[in-house]
Amino acid sequence: MIISELKVDVVGESNHFQLVFKPQETVDQTMGTSLMNDNSKKLSTWDELLVRVGRDRDKSAFAELFDYFAPRVKSFLLRFGTDMSLAEEIAQEAMIMVWRRAETYDPRQSAASTWIFTIARNKRIDRLRRENRPLPDMTDPAVMPESIETGEIQVARIQKEKKIRHALKNLPEEQAKMIFSAYYEEKSHREIAEESGVALGTVKSRIRLALNRLRAHIDEDEGITP
Amino acid sequence: MNEQVSLNNQVLDALLLDYAAGALSQPLEILIETHLAMNPESAKTMQFLMQLGGILLEECEPVSLSEDALDKVMSAIAEDLEPLQKTTQPEHSFLPRPISDYIPDLSCTKSWHSAGIGISRHDVTFDNSDMRATFYRIQPNRAVPLHSHTGAEITLVVAGGFSDDVGTYGPGDIAVQEAGEVHKPVADADGECIVFAVKEGDIRLAGPLGRVFNLLMK
Repeated sequence: MIISELKVDVVGESNHFQLVFKPQETVDQTMGTSLMNDNSKKLSTWDELLVRVGRDRDKSAFAELFDYFAPRVKSFLLRFGTDMSLAEEIAQEAMIMVWRRAETYDPRQSAASTWIFTIARNKRIDRLRRENRPLPDMTDPAVMPESIETGEIQVARIQKEKKIRHALKNLPEEQAKMIFSAYYEEKSHREIAEESGVALGTVKSRIRLALNRLRAHIDEDEGITP
Repeated sequence: MNEQVSLNNQVLDALLLDYAAGALSQPLEILIETHLAMNPESAKTMQFLMQLGGILLEECEPVSLSEDALDKVMSAIAEDLEPLQKTTQPEHSFLPRPISDYIPDLSCTKSWHSAGIGISRHDVTFDNSDMRATFYRIQPNRAVPLHSHTGAEITLVVAGGFSDDVGTYGPGDIAVQEAGEVHKPVADADGECIVFAVKEGDIRLAGPLGRVFNLLMK
Protein backbone atom coordinates (compact mmCIF):
# COMPACT_ATOMS: atom_id res chain seq x y z
CA MET A 1 0.00 0.00 0.00
CA ILE A 2 2.49 2.64 1.12
CA ILE A 3 6.14 2.26 0.34
CA SER A 4 7.85 2.64 3.69
CA GLU A 5 11.10 4.19 2.54
CA LEU A 6 9.21 7.25 1.38
CA LYS A 7 8.37 8.04 4.97
CA VAL A 8 11.99 8.65 5.82
CA ASP A 9 12.01 11.65 3.55
CA VAL A 10 9.12 13.20 5.36
CA VAL A 11 10.44 12.48 8.82
CA GLY A 12 13.91 13.74 7.91
CA GLU A 13 14.25 17.49 8.28
CA SER A 14 10.74 18.76 8.42
CA ASN A 15 11.45 22.26 9.70
CA HIS A 16 8.43 24.43 8.93
CA PHE A 17 6.55 21.58 7.36
CA GLN A 18 6.42 19.85 10.71
CA LEU A 19 2.91 21.08 11.18
CA VAL A 20 1.82 19.73 7.90
CA PHE A 21 3.47 16.36 8.11
CA LYS A 22 3.71 15.43 11.74
CA PRO A 23 6.53 12.90 12.05
CA GLN A 24 4.79 10.64 14.56
CA GLU A 25 2.00 10.05 12.12
CA THR A 26 4.32 8.77 9.48
CA VAL A 27 6.80 6.78 11.56
CA ASP A 28 4.46 4.17 12.87
CA GLN A 29 1.95 2.61 10.56
CA THR A 30 -0.46 1.51 13.33
CA MET A 31 -0.28 4.81 15.07
CA GLY A 32 -0.75 6.56 11.76
CA THR A 33 -3.86 4.55 11.14
CA SER A 34 -5.38 5.34 14.52
CA LEU A 35 -4.71 9.03 14.01
CA MET A 36 -6.33 8.78 10.63
CA ASN A 37 -9.41 7.36 12.25
CA ASP A 38 -9.43 10.23 14.69
CA ASN A 39 -9.17 12.60 11.81
CA SER A 40 -12.12 11.12 10.05
CA LYS A 41 -14.19 11.30 13.24
CA LYS A 42 -13.21 14.91 13.65
CA LEU A 43 -14.05 15.43 10.04
CA SER A 44 -17.60 14.27 10.37
CA THR A 45 -17.98 16.32 13.55
CA TRP A 46 -17.16 19.46 11.59
CA ASP A 47 -19.58 18.37 8.90
CA GLU A 48 -22.32 17.83 11.47
CA LEU A 49 -21.68 21.17 13.13
CA LEU A 50 -21.92 22.91 9.80
CA VAL A 51 -25.18 21.09 9.03
CA ARG A 52 -26.56 22.26 12.38
CA VAL A 53 -25.60 25.84 11.57
CA GLY A 54 -27.39 25.62 8.24
CA ARG A 55 -30.45 23.70 9.38
CA ASP A 56 -31.01 24.98 12.94
CA ARG A 57 -29.10 28.27 12.84
CA ASP A 58 -27.28 26.83 15.86
CA LYS A 59 -24.98 29.46 17.36
CA SER A 60 -23.05 27.16 19.66
CA ALA A 61 -22.26 24.87 16.73
CA PHE A 62 -21.08 27.94 14.85
CA ALA A 63 -18.87 29.00 17.77
CA GLU A 64 -17.19 25.59 17.73
CA LEU A 65 -16.55 25.83 14.00
CA PHE A 66 -15.23 29.33 14.54
CA ASP A 67 -12.76 28.22 17.22
CA TYR A 68 -11.36 25.56 14.95
CA PHE A 69 -11.45 27.11 11.49
CA ALA A 70 -11.06 30.88 11.98
CA PRO A 71 -7.44 30.64 13.26
CA ARG A 72 -6.59 28.33 10.37
CA VAL A 73 -8.20 30.63 7.83
CA LYS A 74 -6.18 33.48 9.30
CA SER A 75 -3.03 31.41 9.05
CA PHE A 76 -3.86 30.57 5.43
CA LEU A 77 -4.25 34.27 4.64
CA LEU A 78 -1.01 35.23 6.37
CA ARG A 79 0.86 32.69 4.28
CA PHE A 80 -0.26 34.57 1.20
CA GLY A 81 1.46 37.67 2.53
CA THR A 82 -1.72 39.40 3.69
CA ASP A 83 -0.89 41.73 6.55
CA MET A 84 -2.01 40.87 10.07
CA SER A 85 -4.96 43.24 10.43
CA LEU A 86 -6.33 42.50 6.97
CA ALA A 87 -5.97 38.75 7.57
CA GLU A 88 -7.95 39.19 10.79
CA GLU A 89 -10.64 41.12 8.96
CA ILE A 90 -10.94 38.69 6.06
CA ALA A 91 -10.98 35.71 8.44
CA GLN A 92 -13.92 37.29 10.28
CA GLU A 93 -15.70 38.08 7.04
CA ALA A 94 -15.16 34.53 5.83
CA MET A 95 -16.69 33.15 9.01
CA ILE A 96 -19.69 35.47 8.67
CA MET A 97 -20.06 34.10 5.14
CA VAL A 98 -19.91 30.57 6.54
CA TRP A 99 -22.91 31.45 8.69
CA ARG A 100 -24.81 33.07 5.86
CA ARG A 101 -24.16 30.32 3.32
CA ALA A 102 -24.44 27.34 5.68
CA GLU A 103 -27.90 26.47 4.38
CA THR A 104 -26.42 25.55 1.01
CA TYR A 105 -23.86 23.18 2.55
CA ASP A 106 -24.42 19.54 1.63
CA PRO A 107 -22.27 17.03 3.56
CA ARG A 108 -22.83 14.42 0.88
CA GLN A 109 -21.00 16.61 -1.58
CA SER A 110 -18.13 18.09 0.38
CA ALA A 111 -16.35 18.13 3.72
CA ALA A 112 -16.75 21.17 5.94
CA SER A 113 -13.03 21.83 5.45
CA THR A 114 -13.39 21.83 1.64
CA TRP A 115 -16.39 24.11 1.84
CA ILE A 116 -14.76 26.58 4.24
CA PHE A 117 -11.53 26.53 2.22
CA THR A 118 -13.52 27.60 -0.84
CA ILE A 119 -15.15 30.45 1.05
CA ALA A 120 -11.82 31.68 2.43
CA ARG A 121 -10.27 31.41 -1.02
CA ASN A 122 -13.08 33.48 -2.52
CA LYS A 123 -13.02 36.09 0.23
CA ARG A 124 -9.34 36.60 -0.35
CA ILE A 125 -9.84 37.03 -4.09
CA ASP A 126 -12.74 39.44 -3.46
CA ARG A 127 -10.56 41.63 -1.34
CA LEU A 128 -7.75 41.56 -3.86
CA ARG A 129 -10.13 42.67 -6.58
CA ARG A 130 -12.44 44.77 -4.42
CA GLU A 131 -15.46 43.45 -6.16
CA ASN A 132 -18.35 41.22 -5.35
CA ARG A 133 -18.20 38.07 -7.34
CA PRO A 134 -20.76 35.34 -6.89
CA LEU A 135 -19.42 32.44 -4.86
CA PRO A 136 -19.25 29.16 -6.69
CA ASP A 137 -22.23 27.20 -5.55
CA MET A 138 -20.87 24.07 -3.95
CA THR A 139 -24.02 22.17 -4.78
CA ASP A 140 -23.62 23.02 -8.43
CA PRO A 141 -22.56 19.91 -10.34
CA ALA A 142 -20.06 22.04 -12.23
CA VAL A 143 -18.19 22.71 -9.02
CA MET A 144 -18.84 19.48 -7.21
CA PRO A 145 -19.79 16.85 -9.72
CA GLU A 146 -21.67 13.80 -8.48
CA SER A 147 -19.68 10.78 -9.44
CA ILE A 148 -21.31 8.17 -7.21
CA GLU A 149 -24.86 7.13 -6.35
CA THR A 150 -26.39 9.57 -3.87
CA GLY A 151 -26.68 7.28 -0.84
CA GLU A 152 -23.05 6.33 -1.10
CA ILE A 153 -21.68 9.81 -1.61
CA GLN A 154 -20.85 10.78 1.93
CA VAL A 155 -19.15 7.50 2.83
CA ALA A 156 -17.18 7.50 -0.39
CA ARG A 157 -16.26 11.12 0.05
CA ILE A 158 -14.93 10.58 3.55
CA GLN A 159 -13.02 7.50 2.41
CA LYS A 160 -11.51 9.45 -0.43
CA GLU A 161 -10.47 12.21 1.91
CA LYS A 162 -8.77 9.78 4.25
CA LYS A 163 -6.85 8.48 1.28
CA ILE A 164 -5.75 11.96 0.23
CA ARG A 165 -4.64 12.74 3.78
CA HIS A 166 -2.73 9.53 3.99
CA ALA A 167 -1.11 9.95 0.59
CA LEU A 168 -0.16 13.52 1.45
CA LYS A 169 1.62 12.42 4.60
CA ASN A 170 3.56 9.86 2.66
CA LEU A 171 4.79 12.07 -0.15
CA PRO A 172 8.53 12.57 -0.43
CA GLU A 173 9.39 15.78 1.37
CA GLU A 174 10.48 17.75 -1.68
CA GLN A 175 7.20 16.98 -3.45
CA ALA A 176 5.18 17.83 -0.37
CA LYS A 177 6.95 21.18 -0.14
CA MET A 178 6.08 21.99 -3.73
CA ILE A 179 2.42 21.19 -3.21
CA PHE A 180 2.33 23.28 -0.10
CA SER A 181 3.98 26.21 -1.85
CA ALA A 182 1.60 25.91 -4.76
CA TYR A 183 -1.39 26.36 -2.46
CA TYR A 184 -0.14 28.63 0.22
CA GLU A 185 2.48 30.91 -1.16
CA GLU A 186 1.88 33.38 -3.88
CA LYS A 187 5.04 32.57 -5.69
CA SER A 188 5.75 31.78 -9.27
CA HIS A 189 7.29 28.46 -10.10
CA ARG A 190 10.37 30.44 -11.02
CA GLU A 191 10.57 31.98 -7.54
CA ILE A 192 10.03 28.62 -5.92
CA ALA A 193 12.84 27.26 -8.08
CA GLU A 194 15.21 30.07 -7.14
CA GLU A 195 14.50 29.70 -3.45
CA SER A 196 14.85 25.98 -3.30
CA GLY A 197 17.87 26.03 -5.59
CA VAL A 198 16.50 23.56 -8.11
CA ALA A 199 15.85 23.97 -11.81
CA LEU A 200 12.53 25.42 -12.96
CA GLY A 201 11.77 22.20 -14.84
CA THR A 202 12.29 20.27 -11.62
CA VAL A 203 9.75 22.39 -9.77
CA LYS A 204 7.17 21.78 -12.47
CA SER A 205 7.81 18.07 -12.59
CA ARG A 206 7.75 17.72 -8.80
CA ILE A 207 4.37 19.42 -8.60
CA ARG A 208 3.07 17.16 -11.34
CA LEU A 209 4.55 14.06 -9.74
CA ALA A 210 3.05 14.95 -6.38
CA LEU A 211 -0.40 15.65 -7.81
CA ASN A 212 -0.37 12.49 -9.89
CA ARG A 213 0.70 10.48 -6.89
CA LEU A 214 -2.11 11.89 -4.77
CA ARG A 215 -4.61 11.42 -7.54
CA ALA A 216 -3.50 7.85 -8.18
CA HIS A 217 -4.65 6.86 -4.69
CA ILE A 218 -8.11 8.05 -5.48
CA ASP A 219 -8.53 6.87 -9.03
CA GLU A 220 -7.35 3.41 -8.06
CA ASP A 221 -10.43 3.15 -5.97
CA GLU A 222 -12.90 4.56 -8.40
CA GLY A 223 -11.87 1.98 -10.94
CA ILE A 224 -13.62 -0.59 -8.78
CA THR A 225 -16.78 1.42 -8.23
CA PRO A 226 -18.88 1.36 -11.39
CA MET B 1 1.79 11.58 -26.85
CA ASN B 2 3.06 14.41 -29.01
CA GLU B 3 4.79 17.41 -27.55
CA GLN B 4 1.93 19.86 -27.97
CA VAL B 5 -0.61 17.54 -26.37
CA SER B 6 1.67 17.06 -23.41
CA LEU B 7 2.20 20.83 -23.16
CA ASN B 8 -1.57 21.37 -23.25
CA ASN B 9 -2.00 18.88 -20.42
CA GLN B 10 0.77 20.43 -18.38
CA VAL B 11 -0.66 23.89 -18.75
CA LEU B 12 -4.15 22.66 -17.95
CA ASP B 13 -2.90 21.00 -14.76
CA ALA B 14 -1.14 24.19 -13.75
CA LEU B 15 -4.25 26.26 -14.48
CA LEU B 16 -6.44 23.96 -12.42
CA LEU B 17 -4.03 24.00 -9.48
CA ASP B 18 -3.73 27.78 -9.58
CA TYR B 19 -7.50 28.10 -9.80
CA ALA B 20 -7.90 25.95 -6.68
CA ALA B 21 -5.31 28.02 -4.85
CA GLY B 22 -7.02 31.24 -5.93
CA ALA B 23 -3.90 32.39 -7.73
CA LEU B 24 -5.26 33.05 -11.22
CA SER B 25 -5.77 36.48 -12.69
CA GLN B 26 -9.40 37.35 -13.37
CA PRO B 27 -9.47 36.59 -17.12
CA LEU B 28 -7.92 33.17 -16.57
CA GLU B 29 -10.21 32.49 -13.66
CA ILE B 30 -13.23 33.13 -15.86
CA LEU B 31 -11.72 30.95 -18.56
CA ILE B 32 -11.17 28.07 -16.13
CA GLU B 33 -14.53 28.39 -14.37
CA THR B 34 -16.24 28.13 -17.74
CA HIS B 35 -14.05 25.20 -18.74
CA LEU B 36 -15.08 23.45 -15.50
CA ALA B 37 -18.75 23.91 -16.32
CA MET B 38 -18.17 22.31 -19.72
CA ASN B 39 -15.68 19.55 -18.95
CA PRO B 40 -16.68 16.89 -16.38
CA GLU B 41 -13.19 15.41 -16.19
CA SER B 42 -11.60 18.69 -15.17
CA ALA B 43 -14.51 19.29 -12.79
CA LYS B 44 -13.61 16.01 -11.13
CA THR B 45 -9.98 17.06 -10.86
CA MET B 46 -11.14 20.32 -9.32
CA GLN B 47 -13.16 18.44 -6.75
CA PHE B 48 -9.96 16.67 -5.77
CA LEU B 49 -7.92 19.89 -5.69
CA MET B 50 -10.49 21.67 -3.50
CA GLN B 51 -10.51 18.70 -1.12
CA LEU B 52 -6.76 18.91 -0.99
CA GLY B 53 -7.04 22.64 -0.25
CA GLY B 54 -9.42 21.92 2.64
CA ILE B 55 -7.11 19.27 4.03
CA LEU B 56 -4.15 21.65 3.84
CA LEU B 57 -6.26 24.33 5.52
CA GLU B 58 -6.81 22.00 8.45
CA GLU B 59 -3.08 21.40 8.59
CA CYS B 60 -2.27 25.10 8.80
CA GLU B 61 -0.80 26.20 12.10
CA PRO B 62 -3.63 28.10 13.83
CA VAL B 63 -3.04 31.82 14.38
CA SER B 64 -5.25 33.32 17.11
CA LEU B 65 -7.69 35.99 16.17
CA SER B 66 -8.18 39.07 18.34
CA GLU B 67 -9.91 38.37 21.64
CA ASP B 68 -13.17 39.97 20.64
CA ALA B 69 -13.28 38.37 17.18
CA LEU B 70 -15.96 35.81 18.00
CA ASP B 71 -18.10 38.47 19.73
CA LYS B 72 -17.80 40.74 16.71
CA VAL B 73 -18.76 37.95 14.33
CA MET B 74 -21.62 36.84 16.60
CA SER B 75 -23.09 40.33 16.69
CA ALA B 76 -22.72 40.61 12.93
CA ILE B 77 -24.64 37.38 12.40
CA ALA B 78 -27.28 38.42 14.96
CA GLU B 79 -28.15 41.33 12.67
CA ASP B 80 -28.28 39.00 9.74
CA LEU B 81 -31.95 38.14 9.43
CA GLU B 82 -32.14 36.27 6.17
CA PRO B 83 -29.67 33.67 5.01
CA LEU B 84 -28.05 34.60 1.73
CA GLN B 85 -30.06 33.49 -1.24
CA LYS B 86 -28.45 31.45 -3.94
CA THR B 87 -27.44 33.36 -7.01
CA THR B 88 -29.64 32.55 -9.94
CA GLN B 89 -28.47 31.63 -13.38
CA PRO B 90 -29.43 33.93 -16.22
CA GLU B 91 -31.88 32.00 -18.37
CA HIS B 92 -31.33 33.69 -21.67
CA SER B 93 -27.76 32.71 -22.41
CA PHE B 94 -26.80 29.61 -24.34
CA LEU B 95 -23.50 29.59 -22.47
CA PRO B 96 -22.73 28.58 -18.89
CA ARG B 97 -21.68 31.04 -16.24
CA PRO B 98 -19.47 32.89 -15.76
CA ILE B 99 -18.66 33.40 -19.45
CA SER B 100 -22.32 34.29 -20.10
CA ASP B 101 -21.84 37.39 -17.92
CA TYR B 102 -19.13 38.72 -20.24
CA ILE B 103 -20.16 37.86 -23.78
CA PRO B 104 -22.29 40.51 -25.50
CA ASP B 105 -25.46 39.62 -27.37
CA LEU B 106 -24.41 37.97 -30.64
CA SER B 107 -26.90 40.06 -32.61
CA CYS B 108 -25.59 43.33 -31.21
CA THR B 109 -23.43 44.52 -34.08
CA LYS B 110 -22.07 47.46 -32.11
CA SER B 111 -20.32 45.12 -29.68
CA TRP B 112 -18.51 43.08 -32.32
CA HIS B 113 -15.74 44.56 -34.43
CA SER B 114 -14.42 43.16 -37.64
CA ALA B 115 -11.05 41.49 -37.36
CA GLY B 116 -10.73 40.35 -40.96
CA ILE B 117 -13.11 38.62 -43.34
CA GLY B 118 -15.46 36.32 -41.46
CA ILE B 119 -13.92 37.15 -38.11
CA SER B 120 -15.11 39.53 -35.44
CA ARG B 121 -13.90 40.32 -31.97
CA HIS B 122 -15.03 41.79 -28.69
CA ASP B 123 -12.59 42.93 -26.03
CA VAL B 124 -13.45 42.43 -22.40
CA THR B 125 -11.91 44.74 -19.84
CA PHE B 126 -11.98 44.26 -16.11
CA ASP B 127 -12.68 46.75 -13.37
CA ASN B 128 -9.76 47.88 -11.27
CA SER B 129 -7.20 46.41 -13.61
CA ASP B 130 -5.52 46.72 -16.97
CA MET B 131 -6.26 43.12 -17.83
CA ARG B 132 -8.02 42.14 -21.01
CA ALA B 133 -9.46 39.13 -22.71
CA THR B 134 -10.95 38.80 -26.18
CA PHE B 135 -13.87 36.93 -27.67
CA TYR B 136 -13.41 35.92 -31.31
CA ARG B 137 -16.20 34.72 -33.61
CA ILE B 138 -15.02 32.85 -36.64
CA GLN B 139 -17.42 31.94 -39.45
CA PRO B 140 -17.61 28.28 -40.60
CA ASN B 141 -14.60 27.12 -42.61
CA ARG B 142 -12.94 30.47 -42.21
CA ALA B 143 -9.20 30.38 -41.55
CA VAL B 144 -7.73 32.91 -39.21
CA PRO B 145 -4.91 34.61 -41.16
CA LEU B 146 -1.51 33.11 -40.48
CA HIS B 147 -0.15 34.84 -37.44
CA SER B 148 2.59 34.33 -34.92
CA HIS B 149 2.14 35.03 -31.27
CA THR B 150 4.33 37.61 -29.68
CA GLY B 151 3.31 36.24 -26.32
CA ALA B 152 1.79 32.98 -25.17
CA GLU B 153 -1.95 32.65 -25.46
CA ILE B 154 -4.55 30.44 -23.80
CA THR B 155 -7.81 29.93 -25.68
CA LEU B 156 -11.08 28.36 -24.58
CA VAL B 157 -13.59 27.17 -27.18
CA VAL B 158 -17.00 28.31 -25.94
CA ALA B 159 -19.03 27.22 -28.99
CA GLY B 160 -18.36 25.38 -32.22
CA GLY B 161 -14.86 24.16 -32.89
CA PHE B 162 -11.66 24.67 -34.81
CA SER B 163 -8.62 22.78 -36.01
CA ASP B 164 -5.01 23.78 -36.43
CA ASP B 165 -1.82 21.96 -37.30
CA VAL B 166 -1.84 20.42 -33.84
CA GLY B 167 -5.32 19.09 -33.37
CA THR B 168 -9.04 19.73 -33.20
CA TYR B 169 -10.79 21.59 -30.44
CA GLY B 170 -14.45 21.50 -29.44
CA PRO B 171 -16.63 23.26 -26.85
CA GLY B 172 -14.89 23.45 -23.47
CA ASP B 173 -11.45 22.57 -24.86
CA ILE B 174 -8.43 24.67 -24.08
CA ALA B 175 -5.73 25.36 -26.66
CA VAL B 176 -2.32 26.64 -25.68
CA GLN B 177 0.00 28.56 -27.97
CA GLU B 178 3.58 29.29 -27.11
CA ALA B 179 5.19 32.60 -27.91
CA GLY B 180 6.58 32.73 -31.42
CA GLU B 181 4.54 29.79 -32.60
CA VAL B 182 3.11 30.18 -36.08
CA HIS B 183 -0.45 29.23 -35.95
CA LYS B 184 -3.29 28.83 -38.42
CA PRO B 185 -6.64 27.84 -36.95
CA VAL B 186 -9.58 26.97 -39.21
CA ALA B 187 -13.16 27.01 -37.91
CA ASP B 188 -15.22 23.83 -38.29
CA ALA B 189 -17.61 23.62 -41.24
CA ASP B 190 -20.78 23.05 -39.22
CA GLY B 191 -21.15 26.37 -37.48
CA GLU B 192 -19.67 29.54 -36.10
CA CYS B 193 -16.77 29.07 -33.71
CA ILE B 194 -16.58 31.31 -30.63
CA VAL B 195 -13.45 31.41 -28.51
CA PHE B 196 -12.33 33.31 -25.43
CA ALA B 197 -8.63 34.15 -25.55
CA VAL B 198 -6.29 35.39 -22.85
CA LYS B 199 -2.83 36.61 -23.84
CA GLU B 200 0.31 36.56 -21.82
CA GLY B 201 0.77 40.32 -22.03
CA ASP B 202 -2.60 40.82 -20.40
CA ILE B 203 -1.44 38.68 -17.53
CA ARG B 204 1.91 40.33 -17.00
CA LEU B 205 0.08 43.51 -16.15
CA ALA B 206 -1.60 41.59 -13.37
CA GLY B 207 1.65 41.29 -11.46
CA PRO B 208 2.94 38.11 -9.93
CA LEU B 209 -0.15 36.07 -10.66
CA GLY B 210 0.82 34.82 -14.07
CA ARG B 211 2.34 31.67 -12.67
CA VAL B 212 0.88 29.56 -15.42
CA PHE B 213 2.72 31.45 -18.09
CA ASN B 214 6.01 30.41 -16.58
CA LEU B 215 5.29 27.06 -18.08
CA LEU B 216 5.26 28.63 -21.51
CA MET B 217 8.43 30.61 -21.18
CA LYS B 218 11.51 29.16 -22.68
